[in-house]
Amino acid sequence: MGSPFDINGGACVAMVGKDCVAIACDLRLGMQALTISNNFPKIFNFAPSTYLGLTGLATDVNTVSDLFRYKVNMYRLREERHISPQTLANLVSSSLYEKRFGPFFVSPVLAGINQTTGKPFICGFDSIGCIDFAKDFIVSGTASDQLFGTCEGLWEPDLGAEDLFETISQALLSAVDRDALSGWGAQVYIIEKDKVTQRLLKGRQD
Amino acid sequence: MDHQARETVGYSFSESTASGVKQHGFYPYTDNGGSTLGITGSDFAILAGDTRSTSGYNINSRMVPKVFKIGGDDETGEGANIVLSVVGFAADGTALKERLDTVVRMYKYQHGKPMTVSACAQRLSTILYQKRFFPYYVHAILAGLDEEGKGALYSYDPVGSYEREQCRAAGAAASLIMPFLDNQVNFKNQYIPGSGEGHALAAKKAEPLPLETVKGLVRDAFTSAVERHIEVGDNLQMVIITKDGIQEVYHPLKKD
Amino acid sequence: MAASKAIMRGPTIIKAEDDKTRQLNKNTLMAFSGEAGDTVQFAEFVQANVQLYSMRNDTELNPAAVANFVRGELARSLRSRSPYTVNLLLGGIDPTTQTPHLYWIDYLASLASVPYAAHGYAQYYCLSLLDKHHNPNIDLEQGMKLLGMCTDELKRRLPIDYKGVLVKIITKDGVKEVDFDNDKIVRSA
Repeated sequence: MGSPFDINGGACVAMVGKDCVAIACDLRLGMQALTISNNFPKIFNFAPSTYLGLTGLATDVNTVSDLFRYKVNMYRLREERHISPQTLANLVSSSLYEKRFGPFFVSPVLAGINQTTGKPFICGFDSIGCIDFAKDFIVSGTASDQLFGTCEGLWEPDLGAEDLFETISQALLSAVDRDALSGWGAQVYIIEKDKVTQRLLKGRQD
Repeated sequence: MDHQARETVGYSFSESTASGVKQHGFYPYTDNGGSTLGITGSDFAILAGDTRSTSGYNINSRMVPKVFKIGGDDETGEGANIVLSVVGFAADGTALKERLDTVVRMYKYQHGKPMTVSACAQRLSTILYQKRFFPYYVHAILAGLDEEGKGALYSYDPVGSYEREQCRAAGAAASLIMPFLDNQVNFKNQYIPGSGEGHALAAKKAEPLPLETVKGLVRDAFTSAVERHIEVGDNLQMVIITKDGIQEVYHPLKKD
Repeated sequence: MAASKAIMRGPTIIKAEDDKTRQLNKNTLMAFSGEAGDTVQFAEFVQANVQLYSMRNDTELNPAAVANFVRGELARSLRSRSPYTVNLLLGGIDPTTQTPHLYWIDYLASLASVPYAAHGYAQYYCLSLLDKHHNPNIDLEQGMKLLGMCTDELKRRLPIDYKGVLVKIITKDGVKEVDFDNDKIVRSA
């Protein structure tokens, strides 16, 4: 059996625009070459403008998303406020590092807008919680090589919400079409200061 | 990667001896990194490659071209109308280029006319397949102009399977460049706005792009690849084949 | 408006009269396959716990809750010294919304909500049939017909005799076993 990271397949990407961020994922869940489901979203909501994408081993995508739902709910109850993307980033980092010698096989991607500063924020992590603060985009999953290529080629600074949607969608769809373990439709979130748009993309069904 | 290649290829000249005795293995292949890319237009073809040569994390050289003129003058390559790019194991790449070059020149001497690209493409496939069980460890791309003067591009796997295509990326950063090309050259996943409701939208049809656009795409593809792949960089070698001959240009890439 | 009905397909039977399903509560049924000892042990463990919950709180858990509980236990077991090697299909009707649900859970505790599913060799033979013939508005009669197509295909292609299938259906009124013609002879293609 191969690496736990590419048993189930999947891809996720986040991008920064002008006063907006976008995060997108594919919808496939497979076991090696066999596709089990074409409706397995990998992006989870943790505050009105904060989203976390999880790729990797599907069981850990489930476990980690459940774990952070619990942790973020506890945070909201204690603090009586929503968690900021920056705080969530550090929560994700420390929680993953707790399992330093028996990690969750996930590569998280975080995207959001900080409601206090109004500034967009994205970051990515490795499976043991090392944070990658990027100013442009973050990619993860079995199509990460392809995503690096498409994002590096298509992305430009200060894209507006609609242009950012087009960019992230084209980058993701083109990337997953060159990866056998990802695809089967996609989900895209465009996050603006006080508006979130969710779109479903059909993409190639093979 | 190095270890994987060794395991899967599993080639060694040493006979297995009794266990406990130290064995020397000889691995006949190295990965020299780098990337190549070819795109065709209605009356031209472009083959490009970076000029970095690596082994592991070391840079052997910053100026080792991967794109060669085939069938031209010995020194200058003048008179050639076919171009070959090779990426993978550089020694095999050089050997392959030398063999094909000889074949194409012999053809001209014997037949008194230059070899067509389609004939050369078939010949290259044969050369590669002849070494089916000790392959040239390269991903080759052959380019030229076909009998109608249209850009022609053929890509190969190491054992000679080949296909004529509009565009192809090969080598270390192929996985980064290829989906970008799908999107920007063949317009994959692009639809014509307002051509239909919902999923009935008409797909944007791929058509040959003008030379300047293609040049731009090649440079964008490589600057992107350089940014994210350590084995790609230093210089971009771009070879443009038109009816007026072959033009070769170099552009600097990041050297980090 | 009639409530739509879920169709559960019990897994193949190795022992001639084995029942590879357990009813977890009034409206959820779980089918399992995997390592011999683990399957029944795990199924009855979660069955007991789901029933304990129903007794303590005087409510039935809905299928989503049951599925997530089962997944949680399997995920916990996965990182233990001796994990359960169990693949599960969990089907049920939500008692409040009256909607059918089906969950696919593998031994790694990956959970997916799906319109149809299979485990083991059945996946390779049946999923393509289900892809072609299933639609979201399928009724019980059509479902049974589709199930027949699946078992026919298994009989046609599988080199082993799996001794027929045990079929149970889950409706808003609960779980019941239904007669299924396992004696039909299907010749190999």
